[in-house]
Amino acid sequence: MSSSLDKLLANPRVWRGSDQAGQKAGLATGYLELDRHLPGGGWPPASLTEILTAHYGIGELRLLMPALARLSTASPQHDFTEPGWIAWVAPPFQPYPPALQQCGIDLSRMLIVRPKNASEILWSAEQALSSGTCAAVLLWPETLDDQASRRLQLAAEKGRSWAIAFRPLAARQQNSAAALRLELHPEGTSHSSGQGTRVHILKSRGGRPTVLSSLI
Amino acid sequence: MRRACKPPVMGREAAPTSLAVQQDLPLVGAAVGAATGREAQQRPQGRQEISTRGKSRPMAAPTVAPVEKLWFCVWLPHLPLESVGAAIGRDTGSQPMAAPTAVVEEQHGIHRILLADAEARAAGVMPGQAANAALALLPALELEERSLLREQQALEGLATWLERFSSFVSIADHNVLLLEIAGSLCLFDGLQALRQEISRGLRELGFTAMPAIAPTPLAATWLARSGRRACIRDETNLVPALRKLSIACLNWPAALCEALTGMGVTTVGDCLRLPREGFTRRFGAEYLLALDRALGHLPDPRNSWRSPERFCADYEMTEEQVDREVLLNICNELLQSHEQFLLARQTGTQRLCFSFFHLKGPATELRLGCAQAERSASRWFELLGIRFEQLVLPEPVIAVRLRSGMAQALQAESGTLSFHGKPGAQQQRFSITQLAERLIARIGDQSVQATSMVAEHRPHYAWRSQSLLSDWSSNTLDEPAQYLQRPLWMLPEPALLPADSGCPIHQGCRLRFIDGPERLETGWWDEDGISRDYYTAAGQDGRRLWVFRNRNRTSSWYLHGYFG
Repeated sequence: MSSSLDKLLANPRVWRGSDQAGQKAGLATGYLELDRHLPGGGWPPASLTEILTAHYGIGELRLLMPALARLSTASPQHDFTEPGWIAWVAPPFQPYPPALQQCGIDLSRMLIVRPKNASEILWSAEQALSSGTCAAVLLWPETLDDQASRRLQLAAEKGRSWAIAFRPLAARQQNSAAALRLELHPEGTSHSSGQGTRVHILKSRGGRPTVLSSLI
Repeated sequence: MRRACKPPVMGREAAPTSLAVQQDLPLVGAAVGAATGREAQQRPQGRQEISTRGKSRPMAAPTVAPVEKLWFCVWLPHLPLESVGAAIGRDTGSQPMAAPTAVVEEQHGIHRILLADAEARAAGVMPGQAANAALALLPALELEERSLLREQQALEGLATWLERFSSFVSIADHNVLLLEIAGSLCLFDGLQALRQEISRGLRELGFTAMPAIAPTPLAATWLARSGRRACIRDETNLVPALRKLSIACLNWPAALCEALTGMGVTTVGDCLRLPREGFTRRFGAEYLLALDRALGHLPDPRNSWRSPERFCADYEMTEEQVDREVLLNICNELLQSHEQFLLARQTGTQRLCFSFFHLKGPATELRLGCAQAERSASRWFELLGIRFEQLVLPEPVIAVRLRSGMAQALQAESGTLSFHGKPGAQQQRFSITQLAERLIARIGDQSVQATSMVAEHRPHYAWRSQSLLSDWSSNTLDEPAQYLQRPLWMLPEPALLPADSGCPIHQGCRLRFIDGPERLETGWWDEDGISRDYYTAAGQDGRRLWVFRNRNRTSSWYLHGYFG
């Protein structure tokens, strides 16, 4: 009776939402509230994550640090010959090694790439992602259109690497193939304790959009 | 490398001269004096009673058996023509020469044919002909100017190739190569097999070679020039073989040969019968010396050819080329020979440099780097492909040169066997060095960096970036100082902040201090001392900033980083 249904579902063109949700265990973010709202309980592995901010330096790195620290010090898996390299492609400033070490990042596994133009940024990121040696690739692209984000997503899947693209708020209007899109807003300076950062989940494959305030 | 002083292992015939040498080795004049009388007496009786002289052997007391040497001589009579052929054959995709070819040399202002290939000879082109006459006979004839440089390069290439048969290869003349093969016989399964292998290899390389084997280098050379393909292993057979040689094979000056022929001396045997003193006086000591060396009575040390440790090869084209595909193919060919070169030495190299020469203007250079010593042509070609896409060639290219960097021992990589049986998981994975090489090839050496910590309290000296290509070790400090507030983002240079009555302003808003001050001072040892008070400050836009004020100079505020 159900054989025709099974046949239909076996067709690769049929996409089922339930395949995605919770299928792969996520990479724990280190922030319990964020983990709760992400499918798989953490950052989506082997895919592209986009983080949109108005400025650099409002906490976007702090958000990633616990997960990156765990990646860079992870012990080698048997099918992962050289894990844990973290590539920084076209960072806007110098990632400061003493602070990174304080966060628990293994500095001997950091690769900083400073390409000269937009196309080289994407090329370098794609190479790093698909090489299979980088556990995470952080990139600051000048532009990232739909096609480029799809390429990065595919490269991340191929190399089983985590791609994180940092983009301006204006990119919110553009389509993207990213599995997860976050928007970061500083919370008002009226708080006496300094400031927190509000995380807005714009898109989450297998999850649902939400707003988390005062996360970091 | 010849034995320093050879005890006279003479045959019966060789006695007179060897005796003379024995008594007073380096002074040929004295030796001649001792020998002359006897030689003069014995001349009429000739060969037969020379053999009786062998009885004077007791004088010689060979205590240690000398190490036998055996010399393989390769004489390349058609080198001027064949070195052209090698170059042309390569240019046109290693197919044999299509047109009949001849090499011309200028003699007294007239271009004369030096050598012609079989096709040209069949049409009647003869060596010595004027170039115009040859062209009249065969209009399709391609004339090539003789190039000694090209010949030398071909010869050196052959010497390098011959090094696989012997550790001692010597370039004896402009078209003669010598190998010492006594030590190689065992390895190559005997003399016959070795000789066949060398001959076959030379033939495949496109060279006509006249081989000869003899116990002394000079004898081997002379025998090779005679074209008899002689093979003499035993020193006792050397003299009879040399006696028959015409003096034309000795490559002595034409005037000398003429004089000798005029005296009725036409063979080496005739020369040996002449009185030594008279021979020296008339023709000079060097020729007597040569005879003694050929017979093995005097040591004949040779220089060993050492192929260069670094690879450098040119590829010259007959016409200018703009097609990038063709240029890439040429580069690939150079890389292949580079791989062969490194393979023979079991080394690799980290750097390569391609030079593309133009007819006008300076050459365009393309440098490639590798994180580890590498010799595989395919790896290098992959890196070249990435860089070549971006290379701007201002003009057509006429020649390509490949130079390699310092040779290094190869570090072999060990692979892993997969016992986990997941075929999909065993996809091709790069190592980080391969990734770094690819990135460096495309975006440049300075743009790909690793970082490490430095034990230093001044913020801008507390780290350094390193090239991934050099050997780098990341000396991470064991215990990060957790109590210090350090920003994740550092500005390349501190940025001056405007101030309003002592309070710094960032993007139009006064900053609010959250933490600080942290005083960082001194650095007198390198004349870059600082004296700063660092604060953590909050800006209007939600960023946390790391700012400082100089204490001893002006009290301006600077922004040094963001907490990210």
